[in-house]
Amino acid sequence: MNTKEAKEGLIYLYCITDKVPKLKEIESLVDKPYFIYHQSLYAIVNKVKESEFAEENLKRNLADLEWIKKKANIHEKVIETVMKNSCAIPFKFGTIFNTEENLKIILKKHIGEFKDTLKYLEGKEEWGVKIYCDLEKLKKVMIQEDGEISKLDKEINSSSTGKAYLLKKKKEELLNIAVNKKLNEYGQISFDRLRESSQEAGINKLLPKEVTERNDEMILNSTFLINKDKIENFLNIVEDLRTKYTDRGLFFDCTGPWPPYNFCNPEKEKIHNG
Amino acid sequence: MDRPIKTIQDKNSYLDLRKQERVTLLEILDRALEKGVVISGDIVISVADVDLVYLGLKVLLSSVETMEHLRGAPMAGAQEGPT
Repeated sequence: MNTKEAKEGLIYLYCITDKVPKLKEIESLVDKPYFIYHQSLYAIVNKVKESEFAEENLKRNLADLEWIKKKANIHEKVIETVMKNSCAIPFKFGTIFNTEENLKIILKKHIGEFKDTLKYLEGKEEWGVKIYCDLEKLKKVMIQEDGEISKLDKEINSSSTGKAYLLKKKKEELLNIAVNKKLNEYGQISFDRLRESSQEAGINKLLPKEVTERNDEMILNSTFLINKDKIENFLNIVEDLRTKYTDRGLFFDCTGPWPPYNFCNPEKEKIHNG
Repeated sequence: MDRPIKTIQDKNSYLDLRKQERVTLLEILDRALEKGVVISGDIVISVADVDLVYLGLKVLLSSVETMEHLRGAPMAGAQEGPT
């Protein structure tokens, strides 16, 4: 490793783009941003402190929520700012190189894939739809709608304590099965409809309440890559679904446009192209 | 836990006008930390490191798996994102 460069700090890679980036706009976000150019591509980087981003220090900092909040937000803002002027490939938060030389090696090695990806992403936007469900609300609906459960519910009211206890257990069992079935159905229908107007779609892992800070449960975490001329159509579908499922306790959290974090990995593109 | 909800206030951001909802830390973590191009940088955040972040959010990691079960079978026709 080049000691001189190491002393100056580590190289943090934000994104790659194919137009000359307007560094002035990024300067308010991070210290001395610059780019590394290779064969018509620009890698947007800046120097970061070893005390924050050297491997061991980074691991320690990842346990510090305040630090992540601040840094992940900066990462996002830098990429969004670049994307005001051009298409960009967003890198994972905390992609660090010891030297510029090492980054150039990667650039050279993947230049073809990066160019293909940028070409593919041109004119498209990433949007996210997270669906949540108020399970209690859905359960109430199911008690009304499901014949068997509804019958059990009435029986419980007119039964002795002992029998009522057993019936209640049975009811809970059936209710859980029915609710899970409905959640899968609603998730699948929603996902299929949203996919209609998108170029590519994906499903990410569900996040628990501790992360979402919501009282209802996440039942679908989906992402879509959409042609810009189809965005309106996509948002209309979200509205339709909202209307359709609101009395079932479903909540649609639609956000975008995002940097195409979910649609920039070369192997994924290959799957798509066939 | 404090609520790390932020709205984008940067007037210069073209994304402002079209952001439909508040931008939460959740949304950024779900993308910038979990996704984005992964290439062999000298330092990259591993899956285990991301788990560490969720631990920072006081989450029992097992609850993520529990939620997967709630959803049951994966959606037909979906490509699970790279992990």
